[in-house]
Amino acid sequence: MTQERPDPAASVTDGLKIVGYAKSGNGRIEKVECESWQPVNEVNLQAWQEIERQVARARDKVASGRASCLYYYMIANQMSLLLLARYTRQAAWRVFLHLHPFFFRRLSTEQLERYATVFKVSVKTLAEGELHTTLPSSTNPHD
Amino acid sequence: MTKSFLIDFTHRQSAHCESGVAANLLNHYGLDLSEAMAFGVGSGLFFAYLPFIRINHLPLVTYRSAAGHLLKRISRLPGFRMTKRTFSSTKRAMEELDRILEQSTPVGLQTGVFWLPYFPKALRFHFNAHNLVVYGKQGDDYLISDPVFPEVVTCPAEDLARARFASGALAPKGKMYYFEQVDRNFDNRKAAVDGIDSVCRSMLNGRFPLIGIRGIRFLERRLRRWPDKLGDDRAALHLGHVVRMQEEIGTGGGGFRFMYAAFLQECGAFLGEDHLLSCAASLNTAGDQWREFAVMAARICKRRSKKGETYETAADCIRQCAALEEQVYSSLQEWVRGMA
Repeated sequence: MTQERPDPAASVTDGLKIVGYAKSGNGRIEKVECESWQPVNEVNLQAWQEIERQVARARDKVASGRASCLYYYMIANQMSLLLLARYTRQAAWRVFLHLHPFFFRRLSTEQLERYATVFKVSVKTLAEGELHTTLPSSTNPHD
Repeated sequence: MTKSFLIDFTHRQSAHCESGVAANLLNHYGLDLSEAMAFGVGSGLFFAYLPFIRINHLPLVTYRSAAGHLLKRISRLPGFRMTKRTFSSTKRAMEELDRILEQSTPVGLQTGVFWLPYFPKALRFHFNAHNLVVYGKQGDDYLISDPVFPEVVTCPAEDLARARFASGALAPKGKMYYFEQVDRNFDNRKAAVDGIDSVCRSMLNGRFPLIGIRGIRFLERRLRRWPDKLGDDRAALHLGHVVRMQEEIGTGGGGFRFMYAAFLQECGAFLGEDHLLSCAASLNTAGDQWREFAVMAARICKRRSKKGETYETAADCIRQCAALEEQVYSSLQEWVRGMA
């Protein structure tokens, strides 16, 4: 999701109608169908641009060998070290070590599998250090 | 082979997930309650700026009460009973969901939005306090009435299980809830007055500097310092974050202020109280002021601000919001005291 940034001109809801509350012609405040509001689209885009910048930095870090590909997937999934540790049910210091290529290369298949399930990629992808740009959920109807 | 169930459930789209779920569930049991009414009775309006809690490395700003507060208040009304459960095992959580669905009871769930595949891409952040209703199952797909969507949606069991056990701040821990008893003739007058009283108390609280009107003023003072303290880029991210919390999907606009105004208006009509109508109008003005802030803030974030628009003027805008809201709640509180 992070790489396939939403079109700047598009609304954050992907064209879905949402409802909000607004004063109607007769002065009553009512539930009305509306598009997502322009300032919302702008600040949403700003948030995604920041995520993209982080992902790009992570990509560089992995490419230069300063971090393992887990680091890239962690950032691409908008996770922090602590959150990733909680999802993979292990201590944060372990995850911290696994983010370094030296320790990452020594991970067993079972350990890789934990990460693969969370990131929704195959163990092979992780082991080979490929950096996929797919969404964590492959079933997205908007893909 | 997995079983299929389908409950006859009416989906109504709403602006906010928790009040929408509450209203739709109650509607299922024959209690016709609007979303705004559920929001007001559950005293959903609030404000807090809690910089020590971080969301994506940005301080938590909330314009509504804590997740689950609204449903808790409604379930505690006399004549209502709601069962609420959390789980430690994913498997048991999904089995229990199936078991309750089998009894033709629609079930509310707290989930994280990041793992919900039907959510628009642009809104998929790690936000764990989203509410939805499951009203059936077809094969491996659950049928979901997600109140912020125009139509019902489906979600594969695996993704739903993930969403129910999302980790991080406000982790839902598989939380599910359903009504066991609903009083169709509940005392809506008392419930509404109590709801208003509770909102006034928390907004006008004198003790904690980070919540209520004091919280708004605290945010205003912090906001003035952001560009100096954080530098332009970080300051813009912080400002954008405030706007997102205020206006992004699920707020009904103006940081829930418009929805609460709709509630006050509805109350004013059925209680025959003109005072509430004028309060609704004033709160609507406060909502407009919040929106004005949002427009200005979005321009500052894009570095396309008009002449004279700075963090200072944005902060002034928030200060006016605080003043307008303080007036509304003080006058509401006086009215509540008069009722007692």
